[in-house]
Amino acid sequence: MVVRIRLARFGRAYQPFYNIVVAHARTARNSKPLEVLGTYNPVPQRSADPAARPFKDIKLDISRAKYWIGVGAQPSEPAWRLLSMVGIVSPRKKAAERAREADARLRQLVAEKAEEIKGREAEAA
Amino acid sequence: MPPKLPPPSLLSPLPSLPLPRQCICQTRSFSHTRRQETQAREQLFSWLHGPGKVFEKPLPNSTNYLSAYSKTGQLLRATQARAKQADAEPEKPESDDLTPEEAEIKKRDAWLKKAAEDVDAEMGKGRVPKESMEDLRPFPLNWEFVSQPVLSEELRDAIYRRVAEEGGSVRAASVEFGVSMERVGAVVRLKAMERQWVQQHKPLAAPYSRAVLSMLPTTPYDPGHPVHHESINDLPVHPATTQQIFHPTAESRPFTRRDAARVFRQGLRPADQRIPHPELVEIEKAAQSGRLNRPQRDDLMRTVMERESLVQKLKEADEAAREQRRVKVISRPRHDFKVENVSVEAVGKTGRKRAGVGWRYGMPLEDRKRGQVRIPTRVD
Repeated sequence: MVVRIRLARFGRAYQPFYNIVVAHARTARNSKPLEVLGTYNPVPQRSADPAARPFKDIKLDISRAKYWIGVGAQPSEPAWRLLSMVGIVSPRKKAAERAREADARLRQLVAEKAEEIKGREAEAA
Repeated sequence: MPPKLPPPSLLSPLPSLPLPRQCICQTRSFSHTRRQETQAREQLFSWLHGPGKVFEKPLPNSTNYLSAYSKTGQLLRATQARAKQADAEPEKPESDDLTPEEAEIKKRDAWLKKAAEDVDAEMGKGRVPKESMEDLRPFPLNWEFVSQPVLSEELRDAIYRRVAEEGGSVRAASVEFGVSMERVGAVVRLKAMERQWVQQHKPLAAPYSRAVLSMLPTTPYDPGHPVHHESINDLPVHPATTQQIFHPTAESRPFTRRDAARVFRQGLRPADQRIPHPELVEIEKAAQSGRLNRPQRDDLMRTVMERESLVQKLKEADEAAREQRRVKVISRPRHDFKVENVSVEAVGKTGRKRAGVGWRYGMPLEDRKRGQVRIPTRVD
């Protein structure tokens, strides 16, 4: 079964609070996970200093998250966003950007092949 | 419910009407004899018009407790001061035509009259001698209760200036003014709030504050001769040290306070370190051994204080650096994200420790249950 890193929603109505968990993909959202890696509070917190910017609180065991990524755990979309912010995975790109990049890679490959063929023809001649 | 009185028309003589038997009581008789005053009431009024009259206009800038006055309503300390003065004065020769007893009576009468006049005059000028310990007992039947002085407004201002404006440490201010560190902290906090209120044009209860302060004993502020408000170096009672322990130890080796602390609880600091101002002990030791004079002593005090504040600052900086390593702030257009590195091990082998990260599984939250205290206990 696929192991995922995902968010489990706790908290009250209109007061979301998430556990960042490692769990089997087919288990229920709030069932007991393999491991709780940390928490994510999406409600912006204000500190006592009114001039300070509001912040969102993330608690994460970074080394443990790296381990789970290393053994093939697949982060869900929101979990990926959080992990990429910490620098554990590279930021996810949008589909269009990904397509553009793949296109560019293909063109480069074609160009390389064409040059190779040209070289071979020149050798033969 | 009392029986209904018949309407006035029925009360007028109308003999023809056959009234029921119970309505014959047409008028109710009330007692016209004067009510007898109770003894207590009588005593109260005699006190109010007699010795209690002095409390009608309280003595300014002094406490006004019952125990400071005699049974006849005279301010004891003023009469005592007058008596001392009279004793110091040489006795005048009396005229010969009076018997010794008569002369004595006359002398006493004159003295009492003069004393009463003097007290009145002094009260008017506000020059009554300062209250002694006996005058500071508000409850005549509770002799153990002595009214304690509070910080005067000037002293509070001085503390605020030293800490908030001149940037002095709370510890140093506590030593300088002889006020405990907790109280220094409270004064600074409240003064800051007062200033904030003034800025916001919020009304202050200044007349109330003045009135209360004028009736309580206060610690004055004198920059030249600082008055110590309270004992600042008392050892706080740690709960771990309140137990009696039978601890056998070898006679051959010394058993110090450090050892005692260890016996009470592992990791408890010895009493010498748990007192609020360990540096004062050091200064006193140096002063005792070296027979320092006043300037040298002050110099030593300043050096030790500076060292303490430096150590404190280093400790704070260290703490901040550690915090910064643990918590990483990532800036995004709308919010910052604070990422705190935690350990999954904190949850323990059973996975049920309270220190563990995350919302707990299989443990209902009781914050909506009846009877739960929901007062926040800390501010982040």
